[in-house]
Amino acid sequence: MKQRLLIRGWRFIRNAMALGLALVVVVLMLPSKARSQLGLDPCCAIISAGLSTISNLLNSVVAKPLGAIQQLEQQSANFEQQVVFPVTAINQARGMAGQFQGQFVQMRQIFQVPVASATLATPQQLEQSLLSRNPGTVPQITNNYAALYGTVMPSTDAPQPVRDLVDMTDAEAQAAMKKAVEIDALADLELQAAEQINQQLQTAAPGSASILEAQTSAWLVRANAYTQSAMAELVRVRSIELANTGAQVKFSAAHTSTLYNSGGLLLQGAH
Amino acid sequence: MKQRALALIHGLRPSFRGGKRWLLLLLLTVALAPPSARAAGIGDILTLFKSITSTIQGAIGGALSGIQTLNSTINNFRQQIIWPLAQINQARAFVASTRSQYGGLMFQIQAIRNNSATLTNPTQLESVFRNGQSGSIGQFQPLYTNVYGNVPSSNDARPVQRNMVDMDDALAQGSLKTTVLSDQTTEGMLALADSIEQQSATAAPGSAPMLAIQAGISELESQAYLAKVLASELRQEAAKLAHQNSLLKQGAASTRNLQNQVQQVLTHP
Repeated sequence: MKQRLLIRGWRFIRNAMALGLALVVVVLMLPSKARSQLGLDPCCAIISAGLSTISNLLNSVVAKPLGAIQQLEQQSANFEQQVVFPVTAINQARGMAGQFQGQFVQMRQIFQVPVASATLATPQQLEQSLLSRNPGTVPQITNNYAALYGTVMPSTDAPQPVRDLVDMTDAEAQAAMKKAVEIDALADLELQAAEQINQQLQTAAPGSASILEAQTSAWLVRANAYTQSAMAELVRVRSIELANTGAQVKFSAAHTSTLYNSGGLLLQGAH
Repeated sequence: MKQRALALIHGLRPSFRGGKRWLLLLLLTVALAPPSARAAGIGDILTLFKSITSTIQGAIGGALSGIQTLNSTINNFRQQIIWPLAQINQARAFVASTRSQYGGLMFQIQAIRNNSATLTNPTQLESVFRNGQSGSIGQFQPLYTNVYGNVPSSNDARPVQRNMVDMDDALAQGSLKTTVLSDQTTEGMLALADSIEQQSATAAPGSAPMLAIQAGISELESQAYLAKVLASELRQEAAKLAHQNSLLKQGAASTRNLQNQVQQVLTHP
Protein backbone atom coordinates (compact mmCIF):
# COMPACT_ATOMS: atom_id res chain seq x y z
CA MET A 1 0.00 0.00 0.00
CA LYS A 2 2.79 2.29 0.95
CA GLN A 3 4.61 1.41 -2.21
CA ARG A 4 1.59 2.31 -4.38
CA LEU A 5 1.22 5.59 -2.68
CA LEU A 6 4.91 6.21 -3.14
CA ILE A 7 4.67 5.45 -6.88
CA ARG A 8 1.63 7.70 -7.37
CA GLY A 9 3.32 10.48 -5.49
CA TRP A 10 6.42 10.12 -7.61
CA ARG A 11 4.33 10.21 -10.79
CA PHE A 12 2.54 13.36 -9.72
CA ILE A 13 5.79 15.13 -8.81
CA ARG A 14 7.40 14.01 -12.07
CA ASN A 15 4.49 15.23 -14.27
CA ALA A 16 4.34 18.53 -12.43
CA MET A 17 8.05 19.03 -12.99
CA ALA A 18 7.76 18.20 -16.71
CA LEU A 19 4.87 20.65 -17.13
CA GLY A 20 6.77 23.36 -15.32
CA LEU A 21 9.83 22.77 -17.46
CA ALA A 22 7.73 22.94 -20.63
CA LEU A 23 6.13 26.22 -19.48
CA VAL A 24 9.54 27.73 -18.79
CA VAL A 25 10.75 26.71 -22.24
CA VAL A 26 7.63 28.13 -23.94
CA VAL A 27 7.92 31.42 -22.08
CA LEU A 28 11.58 31.65 -22.99
CA MET A 29 10.74 30.93 -26.62
CA LEU A 30 8.11 33.70 -26.91
CA PRO A 31 9.34 36.71 -28.94
CA SER A 32 10.32 39.78 -27.04
CA LYS A 33 7.93 41.94 -29.27
CA ALA A 34 5.04 40.07 -27.76
CA ARG A 35 5.91 41.69 -24.58
CA SER A 36 6.30 45.17 -26.08
CA GLN A 37 2.83 45.08 -27.62
CA LEU A 38 1.42 45.23 -24.17
CA GLY A 39 2.64 48.93 -24.02
CA LEU A 40 5.12 48.26 -21.41
CA ASP A 41 8.19 48.39 -23.73
CA PRO A 42 10.30 51.58 -24.32
CA CYS A 43 10.23 50.80 -28.09
CA CYS A 44 6.65 52.04 -28.15
CA ALA A 45 7.64 55.67 -27.68
CA ILE A 46 10.23 55.44 -30.46
CA ILE A 47 7.68 53.90 -32.86
CA SER A 48 5.13 56.55 -31.96
CA ALA A 49 7.64 59.35 -32.58
CA GLY A 50 8.72 57.74 -35.88
CA LEU A 51 5.17 57.39 -37.14
CA SER A 52 4.40 60.94 -36.17
CA THR A 53 7.44 62.17 -38.13
CA ILE A 54 6.35 60.16 -41.18
CA SER A 55 2.84 61.57 -40.94
CA ASN A 56 4.16 65.13 -40.74
CA LEU A 57 6.45 64.49 -43.68
CA LEU A 58 3.60 63.05 -45.76
CA ASN A 59 1.59 66.16 -45.03
CA SER A 60 4.28 68.66 -45.83
CA VAL A 61 6.40 66.96 -48.48
CA VAL A 62 3.76 64.88 -50.32
CA ALA A 63 0.28 66.27 -49.69
CA LYS A 64 1.08 69.95 -50.17
CA PRO A 65 2.84 69.57 -53.56
CA LEU A 66 0.10 67.18 -54.67
CA GLY A 67 -2.48 69.81 -53.76
CA ALA A 68 -0.55 72.44 -55.69
CA ILE A 69 -0.25 70.12 -58.68
CA GLN A 70 -3.97 69.45 -58.57
CA GLN A 71 -4.64 73.19 -58.50
CA LEU A 72 -2.32 73.74 -61.48
CA GLU A 73 -3.94 70.92 -63.41
CA GLN A 74 -7.37 72.36 -62.68
CA GLN A 75 -6.25 75.80 -63.82
CA SER A 76 -4.75 74.30 -66.97
CA ALA A 77 -7.94 72.34 -67.69
CA ASN A 78 -10.07 75.45 -67.20
CA PHE A 79 -7.81 77.44 -69.51
CA GLU A 80 -8.01 74.80 -72.23
CA GLN A 81 -11.78 74.41 -71.88
CA GLN A 82 -12.58 78.10 -71.74
CA VAL A 83 -9.92 79.76 -73.87
CA VAL A 84 -8.26 77.28 -76.20
CA PHE A 85 -10.97 74.72 -76.97
CA PRO A 86 -14.32 76.19 -75.90
CA VAL A 87 -17.09 73.78 -76.89
CA THR A 88 -19.27 76.65 -78.09
CA ALA A 89 -16.70 77.80 -80.65
CA ILE A 90 -16.09 74.22 -81.79
CA ASN A 91 -19.82 73.64 -82.25
CA GLN A 92 -20.15 76.92 -84.12
CA ALA A 93 -17.43 75.82 -86.55
CA ARG A 94 -19.22 72.49 -87.04
CA GLY A 95 -22.51 74.30 -87.56
CA MET A 96 -20.95 76.51 -90.20
CA ALA A 97 -19.75 73.41 -92.06
CA GLY A 98 -23.37 72.23 -92.07
CA GLN A 99 -24.56 75.53 -93.52
CA PHE A 100 -21.84 75.47 -96.16
CA GLN A 101 -22.90 72.00 -97.27
CA GLY A 102 -26.20 73.38 -98.54
CA GLN A 103 -24.48 76.23 -100.35
CA PHE A 104 -21.98 73.87 -101.98
CA VAL A 105 -24.82 71.71 -103.32
CA GLN A 106 -26.62 74.80 -104.59
CA MET A 107 -23.51 76.04 -106.44
CA ARG A 108 -22.89 72.61 -107.95
CA GLN A 109 -26.46 72.56 -109.24
CA ILE A 110 -25.99 76.02 -110.78
CA PHE A 111 -23.07 74.72 -112.83
CA GLN A 112 -25.20 71.82 -114.03
CA VAL A 113 -27.56 74.19 -115.89
CA PRO A 114 -27.35 73.12 -119.57
CA VAL A 115 -25.45 75.54 -121.80
CA ALA A 116 -25.70 73.60 -125.10
CA SER A 117 -26.76 75.91 -127.93
CA ALA A 118 -26.06 74.24 -131.31
CA THR A 119 -29.02 73.95 -133.66
CA LEU A 120 -27.79 71.76 -136.54
CA ALA A 121 -27.24 68.01 -136.28
CA THR A 122 -23.47 67.83 -136.84
CA PRO A 123 -22.56 70.66 -134.47
CA GLN A 124 -24.99 69.25 -131.90
CA GLN A 125 -23.17 65.92 -131.90
CA LEU A 126 -19.79 67.57 -131.34
CA GLU A 127 -21.18 69.93 -128.74
CA GLN A 128 -22.82 67.04 -126.87
CA SER A 129 -19.46 65.31 -126.58
CA LEU A 130 -17.69 68.51 -125.56
CA LEU A 131 -20.17 69.36 -122.78
CA SER A 132 -20.67 65.78 -121.56
CA ARG A 133 -18.20 66.05 -118.63
CA ASN A 134 -17.66 62.36 -119.37
CA PRO A 135 -14.13 61.16 -120.30
CA GLY A 136 -15.77 58.13 -121.93
CA THR A 137 -16.92 60.35 -124.81
CA VAL A 138 -13.38 61.53 -125.63
CA PRO A 139 -12.86 58.94 -128.43
CA GLN A 140 -16.03 60.18 -130.17
CA ILE A 141 -14.61 63.67 -130.48
CA THR A 142 -12.28 62.71 -133.35
CA ASN A 143 -15.13 61.56 -135.59
CA ASN A 144 -17.47 64.38 -134.58
CA TYR A 145 -14.71 66.89 -135.22
CA ALA A 146 -13.90 65.45 -138.64
CA ALA A 147 -17.59 65.50 -139.56
CA LEU A 148 -17.76 69.22 -138.80
CA TYR A 149 -14.34 70.61 -139.70
CA GLY A 150 -13.23 68.06 -142.30
CA THR A 151 -10.03 66.03 -142.53
CA VAL A 152 -6.59 66.85 -143.92
CA MET A 153 -6.82 67.55 -147.64
CA PRO A 154 -5.37 64.93 -150.06
CA SER A 155 -1.83 65.42 -151.34
CA THR A 156 -3.20 66.39 -154.75
CA ASP A 157 -4.96 69.41 -153.30
CA ALA A 158 -2.16 71.02 -151.32
CA PRO A 159 1.61 70.96 -150.94
CA GLN A 160 3.04 68.86 -148.11
CA PRO A 161 3.95 71.85 -145.85
CA VAL A 162 0.36 73.04 -145.94
CA ARG A 163 -0.96 69.55 -145.20
CA ASP A 164 1.45 69.27 -142.24
CA LEU A 165 0.27 72.59 -140.88
CA VAL A 166 -3.37 71.61 -141.23
CA ASP A 167 -2.82 68.27 -139.54
CA MET A 168 -0.93 69.86 -136.67
CA THR A 169 -3.67 72.42 -136.17
CA ASP A 170 -6.41 69.80 -136.22
CA ALA A 171 -4.46 67.73 -133.70
CA GLU A 172 -4.13 70.63 -131.28
CA ALA A 173 -7.75 71.72 -131.69
CA GLN A 174 -8.96 68.19 -130.97
CA ALA A 175 -6.58 67.77 -128.05
CA ALA A 176 -7.82 71.00 -126.50
CA MET A 177 -11.42 69.87 -126.89
CA LYS A 178 -10.60 66.51 -125.28
CA LYS A 179 -8.74 68.26 -122.49
CA ALA A 180 -11.78 70.43 -121.85
CA VAL A 181 -13.92 67.32 -121.32
CA GLU A 182 -11.32 65.84 -118.96
CA ILE A 183 -10.99 69.07 -116.99
CA ASP A 184 -14.76 69.26 -116.60
CA ALA A 185 -14.85 65.68 -115.29
CA LEU A 186 -11.97 66.34 -112.89
CA ALA A 187 -13.68 69.48 -111.63
CA ASP A 188 -16.81 67.44 -110.88
CA LEU A 189 -14.72 64.97 -108.87
CA GLU A 190 -13.09 67.85 -106.97
CA LEU A 191 -16.53 69.19 -106.09
CA GLN A 192 -17.62 65.76 -104.85
CA ALA A 193 -14.48 65.43 -102.74
CA ALA A 194 -14.95 68.92 -101.31
CA GLU A 195 -18.49 68.06 -100.23
CA GLN A 196 -17.32 64.80 -98.65
CA ILE A 197 -14.55 66.53 -96.70
CA ASN A 198 -17.07 69.13 -95.60
CA GLN A 199 -19.37 66.38 -94.33
CA GLN A 200 -16.48 64.96 -92.31
CA LEU A 201 -15.78 68.41 -90.90
CA GLN A 202 -19.30 68.56 -89.47
CA THR A 203 -18.41 65.77 -87.05
CA ALA A 204 -14.70 66.47 -86.65
CA ALA A 205 -12.92 67.36 -83.42
CA PRO A 206 -10.11 69.91 -83.08
CA GLY A 207 -7.72 66.97 -82.74
CA SER A 208 -8.87 65.27 -85.94
CA ALA A 209 -9.31 68.51 -87.89
CA SER A 210 -5.63 68.69 -88.74
CA ILE A 211 -5.95 65.39 -90.64
CA LEU A 212 -8.78 66.83 -92.70
CA GLU A 213 -6.73 69.98 -93.17
CA ALA A 214 -3.89 67.92 -94.60
CA GLN A 215 -6.30 66.13 -96.92
CA THR A 216 -7.83 69.41 -98.08
CA SER A 217 -4.38 70.79 -98.77
CA ALA A 218 -3.54 67.69 -100.80
CA TRP A 219 -6.71 68.15 -102.85
CA LEU A 220 -5.85 71.80 -103.39
CA VAL A 221 -2.42 70.87 -104.70
CA ARG A 222 -4.10 68.38 -107.01
CA ALA A 223 -6.65 70.94 -108.18
CA ASN A 224 -3.91 73.46 -108.86
CA ALA A 225 -2.04 70.85 -110.86
CA TYR A 226 -5.11 70.17 -113.04
CA THR A 227 -5.66 73.89 -113.53
CA GLN A 228 -2.01 74.21 -114.55
CA SER A 229 -2.50 71.37 -117.00
CA ALA A 230 -5.50 73.18 -118.53
CA MET A 231 -3.49 76.38 -118.74
CA ALA A 232 -0.71 74.50 -120.54
CA GLU A 233 -3.25 73.23 -123.09
CA LEU A 234 -4.53 76.75 -123.59
CA VAL A 235 -0.98 77.97 -124.17
CA ARG A 236 -0.50 75.21 -126.76
CA VAL A 237 -3.65 76.20 -128.63
CA ARG A 238 -2.55 79.82 -128.77
CA SER A 239 0.99 78.82 -129.75
CA ILE A 240 -0.31 76.79 -132.68
CA GLU A 241 -2.49 79.71 -133.68
CA LEU A 242 0.54 82.00 -133.61
CA ALA A 243 2.63 79.48 -135.52
CA ASN A 244 -0.10 79.30 -138.18
CA THR A 245 -0.05 83.06 -138.59
CA GLY A 246 3.72 82.94 -139.08
CA ALA A 247 3.39 80.07 -141.52
CA GLN A 248 0.88 82.06 -143.59
CA VAL A 249 3.44 84.84 -143.94
CA LYS A 250 6.12 82.31 -144.95
CA PHE A 251 3.83 80.72 -147.53
CA SER A 252 2.96 84.15 -148.90
CA ALA A 253 6.64 85.02 -149.19
CA ALA A 254 7.32 81.78 -151.05
CA HIS A 255 4.35 82.37 -153.34
CA THR A 256 5.51 85.92 -154.07
CA SER A 257 8.99 84.62 -154.93
CA THR A 258 7.52 81.97 -157.21
CA LEU A 259 5.28 84.53 -158.86
CA TYR A 260 8.21 86.91 -159.31
CA ASN A 261 10.34 84.20 -160.96
CA SER A 262 7.48 83.06 -163.17
CA GLY A 263 6.78 86.65 -164.20
CA GLY A 264 10.46 87.15 -165.03
CA LEU A 265 10.55 84.02 -167.15
CA LEU A 266 7.39 85.06 -168.92
CA LEU A 267 8.76 88.50 -169.70
CA GLN A 268 12.08 87.05 -170.97
CA GLY A 269 10.15 84.69 -173.27
CA ALA A 270 8.11 87.59 -174.69
CA HIS A 271 11.26 89.49 -175.59
CA MET B 1 15.17 -4.56 -3.23
CA LYS B 2 15.42 -5.94 -6.66
CA GLN B 3 11.67 -5.96 -6.97
CA ARG B 4 11.48 -2.34 -5.89
CA ALA B 5 13.96 -1.37 -8.54
CA LEU B 6 11.98 -3.26 -11.20
CA ALA B 7 8.77 -1.65 -10.09
CA LEU B 8 10.40 1.77 -10.22
CA ILE B 9 11.55 1.10 -13.76
CA HIS B 10 8.03 -0.04 -14.75
CA GLY B 11 6.67 3.08 -13.15
CA LEU B 12 9.02 5.29 -15.14
CA ARG B 13 7.90 3.89 -18.56
CA PRO B 14 4.60 5.80 -18.78
CA SER B 15 6.36 8.93 -17.64
CA PHE B 16 8.85 8.51 -20.53
CA ARG B 17 5.87 8.27 -22.94
CA GLY B 18 4.46 11.47 -21.44
CA GLY B 19 7.94 13.07 -21.81
CA LYS B 20 7.93 12.36 -25.52
CA ARG B 21 4.69 14.31 -25.85
CA TRP B 22 6.26 17.23 -23.99
CA LEU B 23 9.32 17.02 -26.17
CA LEU B 24 7.14 17.15 -29.33
CA LEU B 25 5.31 20.21 -27.94
CA LEU B 26 8.63 21.84 -27.18
CA LEU B 27 9.93 21.22 -30.69
CA LEU B 28 6.74 22.66 -32.27
CA THR B 29 6.99 25.76 -30.10
CA VAL B 30 10.59 26.34 -31.11
CA ALA B 31 9.73 25.81 -34.76
CA LEU B 32 6.75 28.22 -34.68
CA ALA B 33 8.46 30.96 -32.73
CA PRO B 34 9.35 33.92 -35.18
CA PRO B 35 13.09 34.33 -34.95
CA SER B 36 13.10 37.86 -36.64
CA ALA B 37 10.80 39.26 -34.04
CA ARG B 38 13.23 38.26 -31.50
CA ALA B 39 16.07 39.66 -33.62
CA ALA B 40 14.52 43.11 -34.24
CA GLY B 41 15.84 45.64 -31.88
CA ILE B 42 15.43 49.38 -31.26
CA GLY B 43 18.38 50.15 -33.51
CA ASP B 44 16.79 48.35 -36.41
CA ILE B 45 13.50 50.24 -35.94
CA LEU B 46 15.30 53.58 -35.91
CA THR B 47 17.17 52.64 -39.08
CA LEU B 48 13.88 51.73 -40.73
CA PHE B 49 12.28 55.05 -39.77
CA LYS B 50 15.29 56.96 -41.03
CA SER B 51 15.10 55.09 -44.33
CA ILE B 52 11.36 55.87 -44.75
CA THR B 53 11.70 59.55 -43.90
CA SER B 54 14.67 60.00 -46.19
CA THR B 55 12.75 58.32 -49.02
CA ILE B 56 9.75 60.60 -48.47
CA GLN B 57 11.91 63.70 -48.26
CA GLY B 58 14.30 62.80 -51.06
CA ALA B 59 12.85 60.61 -53.76
CA ILE B 60 9.10 61.28 -53.38
CA GLY B 61 9.29 64.88 -52.21
CA GLY B 62 11.90 65.80 -54.81
CA ALA B 63 9.94 64.21 -57.64
CA LEU B 64 6.71 65.89 -56.58
CA SER B 65 8.43 69.21 -56.30
CA GLY B 66 9.90 68.70 -59.78
CA ILE B 67 6.45 67.81 -61.20
CA GLN B 68 4.96 70.89 -59.57
CA THR B 69 7.64 73.12 -61.07
CA LEU B 70 7.26 71.50 -64.49
CA ASN B 71 3.48 71.84 -64.44
CA SER B 72 3.78 75.44 -63.47
CA THR B 73 6.29 76.07 -66.28
CA ILE B 74 4.11 74.34 -68.87
CA ASN B 75 1.06 76.25 -67.69
CA ASN B 76 2.87 79.54 -67.91
CA PHE B 77 4.28 78.65 -71.32
CA ARG B 78 0.80 77.81 -72.64
CA GLN B 79 -0.88 80.86 -71.18
CA GLN B 80 1.86 83.37 -71.83
CA ILE B 81 3.66 82.15 -74.95
CA ILE B 82 1.42 79.84 -76.99
CA TRP B 83 -2.10 81.08 -76.25
CA PRO B 84 -1.80 84.42 -74.47
CA LEU B 85 -5.34 85.69 -74.03
CA ALA B 86 -4.32 89.23 -74.93
CA GLN B 87 -2.91 88.12 -78.29
CA ILE B 88 -5.96 85.97 -78.99
CA ASN B 89 -8.26 88.91 -78.36
CA GLN B 90 -5.98 91.14 -80.40
CA ALA B 91 -6.19 88.74 -83.35
CA ARG B 92 -10.00 88.64 -83.06
CA ALA B 93 -10.11 92.43 -82.98
CA PHE B 94 -7.77 92.55 -86.00
CA VAL B 95 -10.13 90.31 -87.98
CA ALA B 96 -13.08 92.50 -87.10
CA SER B 97 -11.11 95.63 -87.95
CA THR B 98 -9.93 94.24 -91.31
CA ARG B 99 -13.49 93.25 -92.16
CA SER B 100 -14.78 96.74 -91.51
CA GLN B 101 -11.80 98.32 -93.31
CA TYR B 102 -11.87 96.30 -96.53
CA GLY B 103 -15.19 94.45 -96.65
CA GLY B 104 -17.28 97.44 -97.66
CA LEU B 105 -14.77 98.71 -100.22
CA MET B 106 -14.39 95.33 -101.86
CA PHE B 107 -18.12 94.84 -101.97
CA GLN B 108 -18.56 98.23 -103.64
CA ILE B 109 -15.90 97.45 -106.27
CA GLN B 110 -17.44 94.06 -106.97
CA ALA B 111 -20.88 95.65 -107.28
CA ILE B 112 -19.80 98.13 -109.98
CA ARG B 113 -21.76 97.35 -113.13
CA ASN B 114 -19.58 97.20 -116.23
CA ASN B 115 -22.43 97.17 -118.75
CA SER B 116 -21.38 99.40 -121.67
CA ALA B 117 -23.64 98.65 -124.65
CA THR B 118 -25.70 101.56 -125.96
CA LEU B 119 -28.13 100.09 -128.50
CA THR B 120 -31.22 98.09 -127.60
CA ASN B 121 -30.29 94.62 -128.75
CA PRO B 122 -26.71 94.63 -127.41
CA THR B 123 -27.91 96.18 -124.15
CA GLN B 124 -30.43 93.38 -123.65
CA LEU B 125 -27.90 90.70 -124.44
CA GLU B 126 -25.28 92.29 -122.23
CA SER B 127 -27.67 92.62 -119.32
CA VAL B 128 -28.37 88.89 -119.47
CA PHE B 129 -24.79 87.70 -119.59
CA ARG B 130 -23.67 90.13 -116.89
CA ASN B 131 -26.48 89.62 -114.39
CA GLY B 132 -25.04 86.47 -112.81
CA GLN B 133 -28.45 84.81 -112.67
CA SER B 134 -28.62 81.28 -114.01
CA GLY B 135 -32.39 81.59 -114.25
CA SER B 136 -32.07 84.05 -117.12
CA ILE B 137 -30.10 81.66 -119.34
CA GLY B 138 -33.31 80.62 -121.06
CA GLN B 139 -33.63 84.15 -122.51
CA PHE B 140 -30.15 83.98 -123.96
CA GLN B 141 -30.69 82.35 -127.36
CA PRO B 142 -33.12 84.91 -128.86
CA LEU B 143 -31.13 87.85 -127.53
CA TYR B 144 -27.93 86.43 -129.02
CA THR B 145 -29.68 85.86 -132.34
CA ASN B 146 -30.96 89.44 -132.28
CA VAL B 147 -27.41 90.69 -132.20
CA TYR B 148 -25.46 88.07 -134.18
CA GLY B 149 -28.14 86.67 -136.47
CA ASN B 150 -29.15 83.12 -137.32
CA VAL B 151 -27.23 80.40 -139.10
CA PRO B 152 -27.49 81.14 -142.86
CA SER B 153 -30.12 79.11 -144.65
CA SER B 154 -29.11 76.15 -146.78
CA ASN B 155 -29.72 78.30 -149.86
CA ASP B 156 -27.26 80.90 -148.72
CA ALA B 157 -24.32 78.75 -147.61
CA ARG B 158 -22.82 75.33 -148.05
CA PRO B 159 -23.41 72.74 -145.29
CA VAL B 160 -19.82 72.89 -144.12
CA GLN B 161 -20.04 76.63 -143.67
CA ARG B 162 -23.42 76.42 -141.94
CA ASN B 163 -22.10 73.78 -139.58
CA MET B 164 -19.07 75.87 -138.73
CA VAL B 165 -21.12 78.96 -138.11
CA ASP B 166 -23.52 77.01 -135.91
CA MET B 167 -20.63 75.52 -133.96
CA ASP B 168 -19.00 78.91 -133.49
CA ASP B 169 -22.29 80.35 -132.29
CA ALA B 170 -22.88 77.39 -130.00
CA LEU B 171 -19.48 77.64 -128.34
CA ALA B 172 -19.69 81.41 -128.05
CA GLN B 173 -23.10 81.13 -126.41
CA GLY B 174 -21.97 78.20 -124.27
CA SER B 175 -19.03 80.21 -122.98
CA LEU B 176 -21.18 83.28 -122.32
CA LYS B 177 -23.67 81.13 -120.40
CA THR B 178 -20.79 79.59 -118.47
CA THR B 179 -19.70 83.08 -117.44
CA VAL B 180 -23.20 83.71 -116.08
CA LEU B 181 -22.98 80.52 -113.99
CA SER B 182 -19.46 81.41 -112.96
CA ASP B 183 -20.51 84.90 -111.84
CA GLN B 184 -23.29 83.45 -109.72
CA THR B 185 -20.91 80.94 -108.18
CA THR B 186 -18.42 83.72 -107.54
CA GLU B 187 -21.05 85.58 -105.52
CA GLY B 188 -21.65 82.39 -103.54
CA MET B 189 -17.93 81.98 -102.93
CA LEU B 190 -17.60 85.59 -101.75
CA ALA B 191 -20.47 85.01 -99.33
CA LEU B 192 -18.71 81.90 -97.99
CA ALA B 193 -15.46 83.80 -97.58
CA ASP B 194 -17.31 86.51 -95.70
CA SER B 195 -18.92 83.93 -93.38
CA ILE B 196 -15.56 82.33 -92.64
CA GLU B 197 -13.97 85.68 -91.85
CA GLN B 198 -16.91 86.67 -89.67
CA GLN B 199 -16.69 83.37 -87.81
CA SER B 200 -12.95 83.72 -87.33
CA ALA B 201 -13.53 86.99 -85.48
CA THR B 202 -15.08 85.00 -82.64
CA ALA B 203 -13.12 81.77 -83.03
CA ALA B 204 -10.90 80.14 -80.43
CA PRO B 205 -7.44 78.74 -81.11
CA GLY B 206 -8.97 75.27 -80.94
CA SER B 207 -11.76 75.97 -83.44
CA ALA B 208 -9.66 78.08 -85.84
CA PRO B 209 -8.14 75.04 -87.62
CA MET B 210 -11.67 73.88 -88.41
CA LEU B 211 -12.37 77.24 -90.02
CA ALA B 212 -9.09 76.93 -91.93
CA ILE B 213 -10.30 73.59 -93.30
CA GLN B 214 -13.58 75.19 -94.21
CA ALA B 215 -11.68 77.84 -96.12
CA GLY B 216 -9.58 75.12 -97.78
CA ILE B 217 -12.69 73.22 -98.87
CA SER B 218 -14.19 76.41 -100.28
CA GLU B 219 -10.93 77.06 -102.11
CA LEU B 220 -11.09 73.57 -103.59
CA GLU B 221 -14.63 74.28 -104.80
CA SER B 222 -13.45 77.57 -106.24
CA GLN B 223 -10.58 75.82 -108.04
CA ALA B 224 -13.05 73.35 -109.52
CA TYR B 225 -15.21 76.16 -110.90
CA LEU B 226 -12.14 77.93 -112.21
CA ALA B 227 -11.24 74.69 -114.01
CA LYS B 228 -14.71 74.62 -115.55
CA VAL B 229 -14.30 78.18 -116.82
CA LEU B 230 -10.90 77.22 -118.20
CA ALA B 231 -12.43 74.20 -119.92
CA SER B 232 -14.92 76.53 -121.55
CA GLU B 233 -12.14 78.79 -122.75
CA LEU B 234 -10.27 75.75 -124.08
CA ARG B 235 -13.31 74.68 -126.09
CA GLN B 236 -13.67 78.16 -127.47
CA GLU B 237 -10.02 78.50 -128.45
CA ALA B 238 -9.99 75.02 -129.95
CA ALA B 239 -13.05 75.83 -132.04
CA LYS B 240 -11.42 79.05 -133.21
CA LEU B 241 -8.34 77.11 -134.30
CA ALA B 242 -10.44 74.43 -135.95
CA HIS B 243 -12.40 77.10 -137.79
CA GLN B 244 -9.25 78.71 -139.19
CA ASN B 245 -7.93 75.32 -140.18
CA SER B 246 -11.17 74.40 -141.85
CA LEU B 247 -11.01 77.57 -143.93
CA LEU B 248 -7.58 76.45 -145.11
CA LYS B 249 -9.00 73.07 -146.09
CA GLN B 250 -11.88 74.74 -147.88
CA GLY B 251 -9.41 77.04 -149.64
CA ALA B 252 -7.43 74.05 -150.88
CA ALA B 253 -10.59 72.39 -152.10
CA SER B 254 -11.71 75.62 -153.81
CA THR B 255 -8.32 75.96 -155.50
CA ARG B 256 -8.56 72.39 -156.74
CA ASN B 257 -12.05 73.08 -158.10
CA LEU B 258 -10.84 76.26 -159.74
CA GLN B 259 -7.93 74.39 -161.33
CA ASN B 260 -10.28 71.73 -162.64
CA GLN B 261 -12.64 74.32 -164.02
CA VAL B 262 -9.80 76.29 -165.67
CA GLN B 263 -8.47 73.08 -167.21
CA GLN B 264 -11.93 72.25 -168.47
CA VAL B 265 -12.24 75.72 -170.00
CA LEU B 266 -8.78 75.44 -171.60
CA THR B 267 -9.39 71.95 -173.00
CA HIS B 268 -12.83 72.94 -174.35
CA PRO B 269 -12.43 76.50 -175.60
